Amino acid sequence: MSIASLQCPQPIRRRLTIAPRDYARRDRAIESFEAGDYLTAVQETLCYLLPGAGAPVFADGKFCFVQGSARVRVHLDGDELALTTALMSLTPEAQSTAALRYVLTRLSATGQLYQPRLHEDTITLEFRERLSLLHPAKLAEVLQRMAMESDSNDGWLAQRFGVDAPDREPVAELDEAEFARALEIWNTHWTSVNELMLESRRRRSVRFLDALGSYAANQVRYSLPLFGSVRATLNESADAYTDKDENPNKRDSALAKCIKEMRQVPVEELRRCLGHAQHAINPLHEGTPSLLTSMLGAGHRMQTTGELRSAGRSLEAALELIADYLYLLADHSWPSEVEAALRTGLDLISGKPWREAADVLWNHANQTARFFGSHGERDRDDDDGADDDVVRYDA
Amino acid sequence: MPTHSLDDIERLGVYQVYTGTGTGTGFLIDATHLLTNCHVVQPYREVAVEMRDRSRIIGRVRRIHPHRDLAIVELARSVDGEVLALSDGEQLKPKQGVHILGFPVGLPLSLTEGVISHARQLLDEQYFLQTDAAINPGNSGGPMLDDQRRIIAVTTCKLNAADAVGFGIPIGDVRRFIDEFRAQSVAFGVQCPACEELIDRAVRYCPSCGSDLEANHDFGEYFETPEAHPLVGFVERALAGANIDPVLARHGSHNWSFHVGSAPIKIWCCCSEHLNFSSPMAQVGNRGLNELFKYLLSEQHAPFSFDLVGSTVRLNLVVHITDVFAPNEHEHLAARVRQFIEKADATDNLLITEYGCQPAPETQTDYLKGGDHGS
Repeated sequence: MSIASLQCPQPIRRRLTIAPRDYARRDRAIESFEAGDYLTAVQETLCYLLPGAGAPVFADGKFCFVQGSARVRVHLDGDELALTTALMSLTPEAQSTAALRYVLTRLSATGQLYQPRLHEDTITLEFRERLSLLHPAKLAEVLQRMAMESDSNDGWLAQRFGVDAPDREPVAELDEAEFARALEIWNTHWTSVNELMLESRRRRSVRFLDALGSYAANQVRYSLPLFGSVRATLNESADAYTDKDENPNKRDSALAKCIKEMRQVPVEELRRCLGHAQHAINPLHEGTPSLLTSMLGAGHRMQTTGELRSAGRSLEAALELIADYLYLLADHSWPSEVEAALRTGLDLISGKPWREAADVLWNHANQTARFFGSHGERDRDDDDGADDDVVRYDA
Repeated sequence: MPTHSLDDIERLGVYQVYTGTGTGTGFLIDATHLLTNCHVVQPYREVAVEMRDRSRIIGRVRRIHPHRDLAIVELARSVDGEVLALSDGEQLKPKQGVHILGFPVGLPLSLTEGVISHARQLLDEQYFLQTDAAINPGNSGGPMLDDQRRIIAVTTCKLNAADAVGFGIPIGDVRRFIDEFRAQSVAFGVQCPACEELIDRAVRYCPSCGSDLEANHDFGEYFETPEAHPLVGFVERALAGANIDPVLARHGSHNWSFHVGSAPIKIWCCCSEHLNFSSPMAQVGNRGLNELFKYLLSEQHAPFSFDLVGSTVRLNLVVHITDVFAPNEHEHLAARVRQFIEKADATDNLLITEYGCQPAPETQTDYLKGGDHGS
């Protein structure tokens, strides 16, 4: 075994400062819709989904919000609401046929309410609907998915097909110190993953491949503010090598190819694809106590990780735990104290030998789940004035 | 008759039966009556039966035997498929050849073969013909044939927990069921599970043997129209508004499929949130693709959209599940569905004549307007 430990550096990606969603507003939106007050329903839905945007009042019937590099424009048109976000512009130099084919194949689809539309040479993602058919759940779905789709495709389309990416929101570049640190994280990460890949092939374990794939994708997502083409390529690869329904040999090949591609990303391209973007809609899932319990608490998942640890298979146990911590941090937004607790776990084991890392993170995971998970100690502390005779389940 | 007489199965009177819960197989017992399984048609009193040319005709359920899992469907018109002979019930033996006709997992008419594993296997207090021939969902209600191409049983089920253990309803029971139907005078009847007497109305106790008919099942349900899910109601009302018979369009649970002119239309729920209407109407050619793609992405098609699956062009409409629960808007949405259907029928022709596309595999080329479309 050539790799003795993993580094878990502090993230350069900034913590999201989006206010938590006010579910009462969502409920008010539904009540307003059901009462036939459609405009209020739209406004309440926007306030629920975009808590930092204030209350869009449609004084002039228009509203725009930013999601990463995408600008999503919302406007009232009579009794209809229209949402648009520009995706790409065809240029004489672009591979137009390939780009259009990609849009028709990958961005246009059944099962989604917004669709790509061509206006002269510009492709936009669009959605238009009568207010009376705009249930808050439907509007929320379109707002979230359309904005995310536009944000995740613009840079990739420009890089792949040579098209222009119009009406994009500039993303704040990293300063030199941040970029230097990001470059170090990037290089160290892919070197580590490459070494672990050799270990994975030696062990021929699907479970090891699961953990390695999760670590490979989520370490980058958590620590680096990636966007554009590099993020799109990484995400596309990750879809393949983390797909547990796929043949392990194909997943192995996809991960190996991804490592090779990522190690070959030119420094300047990486610089172009790193920056601090703004997000009006929380792009992450909201972390919940039950998720913490299911991932880190007593249960089948931790039991099997514990069995690896007690069988002396410290590398697998540590890698699984680290991958789980990174998944929780990369894909979910948490209250600051939970995020700090998860970060502490990674700090405790960064650079530590596998056995020590597995032991320390195992104990830390159990404590974190006990404290912040479903029915955790924090819940009990917060339960002031509750009937002390009530029997509680202690996870 | 040698086995090779099954070489041309297409001309045999074996058809696919469609309902709002699934699909199965049925076979002609005469030019206007089809025999199938009770579980294939239940809980519907009207089903769709698809001919070889993909046209469908309405079938009215006339008689069911829930306990023995048999049903007879009367077709809206006579059909010309070959009526297979019933075996005379002579002694069947293990290792004797079995040929099963049906529509496994919705595929076109298929033949699977095996042998009789047990000629009279007792299971749940009933006798079955047991075979090792492959039986899959969709085979239900199809004929099991001997080497002389005579029906020796009706496919009904298989053991999921075992390999190659399938069962057929013995021909003696089938023959008796048909004979009793020939003497039936009421429009619809259900056979008592205990005495097999025909009952033509919802009653608690069998008028003949006094058995409690509600003991294992709500017997009244056999005489009631099942209550449709709001989504089903919405779709079928919209189809009726577009002059499409919803019974003929049913293709299993929350699925519908039919042709309008040349265009195939498919409707399905992909998740709990979206109801999809889609028409796989044409296949892209090799030239003029830039212009074709620009046309497909043009804003003029809103609220409909095109996408590309492999080389197949589809026209799509998506309805959100919340729309289904907005009854005040149903008229507007039904109009949207009607426009979608009309556009699908018109546009496939345009793609083929103007943009060099080829008909999609499911396009009914006979209905395309003008020219030879390589059908």
